[in-house]
Amino acid sequence: MTTPAPTPTGTGTPTATPSPTPSGTGQVQALQTGLAAEHAVIWGYGVVGAHAGDALLPQVRDADDAHRTLRDDTVALVTRYGGTPVATEPEYALPFPVTDQASALRLAVHLEEGVAAAWRYAVAATDDIAVRRAALVALSDAAVRATRWRLALHTTPATVAFPGG
Amino acid sequence: MARRSVLIGGSVGVGLLVAGCTAGGPSSPAPTTPAPPDPLLAELTDERRLIAAYDATVARHPALRARLTAVRDEHAAHAAALVTALGPAAPPSPTTPAASASPTVSLSTGVESSGSGSRVPATPAAAVAALRAAERAAASARGTVALTAPPDRARLLAGISASEASHVAVLT
Repeated sequence: MTTPAPTPTGTGTPTATPSPTPSGTGQVQALQTGLAAEHAVIWGYGVVGAHAGDALLPQVRDADDAHRTLRDDTVALVTRYGGTPVATEPEYALPFPVTDQASALRLAVHLEEGVAAAWRYAVAATDDIAVRRAALVALSDAAVRATRWRLALHTTPATVAFPGG
Repeated sequence: MARRSVLIGGSVGVGLLVAGCTAGGPSSPAPTTPAPPDPLLAELTDERRLIAAYDATVARHPALRARLTAVRDEHAAHAAALVTALGPAAPPSPTTPAASASPTVSLSTGVESSGSGSRVPATPAAAVAALRAAERAAASARGTVALTAPPDRARLLAGISASEASHVAVLT
């Protein structure tokens, strides 16, 4: 599944209007929630990559790249909507020790579930269609990646009815 | 398009509801604004059709049961959540979709007699491909409705859409 860049096209293009809320409300808060989660995920994939093993490294890199692209796109969106993008934390707490491939994959699932929750929240936090669309794409992509990691872990079922809780 | 081809038409009443839904949708001018049908109705109908499609596929290709049951059950969870969100506006479930992989449809004759257009592809691979296409279409439909829905419903539809996107990943 591809990840279209979440640029706010269509109605209410923010660059065309000085107002921070040209066509809705809650854009900045929604985007900041997603952005903070993306920062955490990118940090976490560093840990995943260190323990995932060579065979899975390309998959880890792809996921990491996708999140970095999404982070950059989200930073740009926050700025365009008049906000100051939240910065990454120097460090994040791991939910459990990561010592081998299995725990690295479990962390990858955990990361994608977490970021899915943030973007799902973001969908409901704004009524701006462009931001909602960006959040939806991010949520879906996170759900798909979580499923791929569960498949790699042989977790059944590999899908959930409501990604992001 | 491909979605419709794998759906069985067992729920005639629900199908009529959807037809009414589509006709009275945003494209109609509606000068007197007669209360428009709840947009979740069409999504619920589609979830029930997906469930029926999974049931028909398992009936035709029993070897796929293990692979498809969890996904089918997630659609049952989607349908249940949509019923809750709809409240009193929800139409009654045609065949209690949440109630197991219903042995009543395990005979292919039973499936075929249940309605027109119930065509499960002859090979398991083609049947799975048809479900995959149906999931893609469903994810897209739910996502589109989520864009303009009230917050609670947007959250629900977004979750369903993402779940269906992930179903595509397990049907490859």
